[in-house]
Amino acid sequence: MWLDKIVENINYIGAIALFVIGLRIVVTHSNLIKRIMGINIMGTGVFLFFVAIGNVTGGVPPIINPNVDDQLFINPIPSVLILTGIVVVVSITVYSLSLVVRIYENYKTIDQKELSRLISEENDEH
Amino acid sequence: MNDIIVKSITRIIIPFAQVYGIFIILNGHVSPGGGFAGGAIIGTTLILYTLVFGREKGKKKFSHKASEIAESGGIIWFVTIGLVGLVFADRFLTNIDAGFPEGVVGSILSGGMIPLLMIGIGIKVASTMISLFNLLIDEGV
Amino acid sequence: MNIEQLPIINLLLFLLMALVIPLLKRKPFKITLILGFIVLGLVLISSSYLLWHVNNKGVIHYTFGGHEARFGIEFIVDPFSALFTTIIAGLAAIIYIYSSGDATEGIEKTEYGRYYVLLFILLMSMFGILYTNDLFNTYVFIEILSITTCAIISIKRKKDTYTSAFRYVMMNELGSLSYLFGVALIYMATGFTNITLISESIQNAFVSYPVNIVVALGFMIIGLGIKAAIFPFHIWLPDAHSAAPSTSSAILSAIVIKVYILVLVKVLFRVFKLDILNEMNISTILLVLAGVAMIMGSVFAIAQKDVKRMLGYSSVAQMGYILLGIGLLSFEGLRAAFFHILSHGLMKTALFLSVGEIIFYKKTRKVNDFDGMGFIMPVAMGVFSIAALGMIGIPLTSGFISKLNLGVAVLDQNQIIFLVILILSSLLNVIYYLPIIILAFLKNEKYRYRLKSIEPTPRTMIAPLVLLGVLIVVVGLFPNQIMVFIEAAVNSLLS
Repeated sequence: MWLDKIVENINYIGAIALFVIGLRIVVTHSNLIKRIMGINIMGTGVFLFFVAIGNVTGGVPPIINPNVDDQLFINPIPSVLILTGIVVVVSITVYSLSLVVRIYENYKTIDQKELSRLISEENDEH
Repeated sequence: MNDIIVKSITRIIIPFAQVYGIFIILNGHVSPGGGFAGGAIIGTTLILYTLVFGREKGKKKFSHKASEIAESGGIIWFVTIGLVGLVFADRFLTNIDAGFPEGVVGSILSGGMIPLLMIGIGIKVASTMISLFNLLIDEGV
Repeated sequence: MNIEQLPIINLLLFLLMALVIPLLKRKPFKITLILGFIVLGLVLISSSYLLWHVNNKGVIHYTFGGHEARFGIEFIVDPFSALFTTIIAGLAAIIYIYSSGDATEGIEKTEYGRYYVLLFILLMSMFGILYTNDLFNTYVFIEILSITTCAIISIKRKKDTYTSAFRYVMMNELGSLSYLFGVALIYMATGFTNITLISESIQNAFVSYPVNIVVALGFMIIGLGIKAAIFPFHIWLPDAHSAAPSTSSAILSAIVIKVYILVLVKVLFRVFKLDILNEMNISTILLVLAGVAMIMGSVFAIAQKDVKRMLGYSSVAQMGYILLGIGLLSFEGLRAAFFHILSHGLMKTALFLSVGEIIFYKKTRKVNDFDGMGFIMPVAMGVFSIAALGMIGIPLTSGFISKLNLGVAVLDQNQIIFLVILILSSLLNVIYYLPIIILAFLKNEKYRYRLKSIEPTPRTMIAPLVLLGVLIVVVGLFPNQIMVFIEAAVNSLLS
């Protein structure tokens, strides 16, 4: 009986799992590129949640076919919103990657613990 | 890259990929796609050209000045179409009430101003992708 | 072209100015500066006109493309958004005049154009956040604001800017995605993203799906709290301040983090209305966060040696004050919080710009080097002293009026312990601001109380400082006209 509920809401459970996995990656890993990947995974989780809201059981994608009339379409509004959201997350990923390139040029490492040690050494010299 | 197979195949494939990208941009209002996806495809073909043939030839094909014009032009085109709606029907980005032709539902020439907006977005996204790629590998634009 | 088009014309003016700047790269830079100043002047005039119009004639609704509110985006100009867009335009104009005086220290010449492109897109997105009536549209504008603020902070090519910018991006992205998750939960429960339509159906949704609404409120408070530097999530703010040019620090601390608190106010009072908030006892949570921020922000500020980091921690404490006013969930509390947004904006801008001028001329940043500064740079230290006295809460400044109003609001809701925390926090403010003033004016062994000259910095840097000093005192002496606008804004939120 509770297995029924899980199968019904599997989309939402998957989206929340992705969100939590992404959050754990950002908070605990020390490699900078892995953190950027974590942000992407979190974003994917939220977008999946949004799109799963618009799903109608037995619906078809919202494209009008002039030959067939009276179809049951899924809700197109969440898909349109997420299209914009994906572009935003991609642009933030690109910006973070360019920052990582500059950090590597200057410090020769992309590990957060090494970076903290190097920065505190520099600050102690002042 | 100096491999002759990679260079020949790239030279053949890139025009077809760009036509496919333009097809996806123009069909944004009828089938899945639109400005973002089509612009990403065209941007990827330009990145592929830069990767295979080297930085110098890539810069000659799509120079810094061209990307400046494409980026500013894309947004100015979008804003101009929106202002047409502002002038004729008193609200920014109005579609049919501002006089854009409606056309037959389901064909390419339909949907008012949406194909025009998609073209502007596609050009801007393609230019952004190649500019950001150049920035990442070049350290300085 | 009637008055209804003015909101979108404001945004388009900023956007087109940002697009035109790269095309003017080959002309002398003065043309860009003058054009930017004309655009800012026009936007300031139109915002003031909108402020007068909505207070006398009524609210403006503007739907894009003529689509109805369920499917389209709606801009709404009411006393709340008109007041704050005018305040933001005014502060931005003052900071713009200061930045044109070549005080953007450390930025290379080729980057000047890019700095102003980012600045105008930033202003456009702030206006968009305040005008819009749609939750998802707010998310898009919040992301544009995050990226441009991060770029404006990390524009110097020095080593330490990159790590602080990376931490900034990571934490702000966490905040934005939490906010988006809250929007998704609200959309799931009510079926709308338009704020007016949600507020009509939120009560039914709360009865049918209480878990969704509660979790959505939690995610939104955390997400917007990370971006507004509320206490446990404030870690990115001092690092960002120590690495940025002074104009960017002023923009970040005085304007940008306030906009996120305004989004939180809009979400709390217009989406979840007062009944749900009182039922869930949100007031206690917000008050506890505010109290902790007020004390811990000041405690950390005392220990800093770099003056910009100290001002950053001071901002964290002041955001605690604003959250205290909001968390009381009453008319007087909101009125005090909004007045503190205005007065803290003026005072923090004055502090950062005067510190910027001192760094520009004397190339030093440590608190201990302010010895005798009052006689080398009288205008900068004078304005710094007026603003610092305002932060402490001395009468005759606007800071005193805002602390008075906060105290009255706290007493009105019978939260005596927060009055004690307010007084304690003011005393902690004294501990780190007053030594700087004393060092600068009274301790000098070298200069023997002799005024050398007005400092030889460009006139476009001194004039905004003087204007800010005058404004702090004038708003402190005659707050009544501004209170009329603020009370109209609070009424439009609470009704």
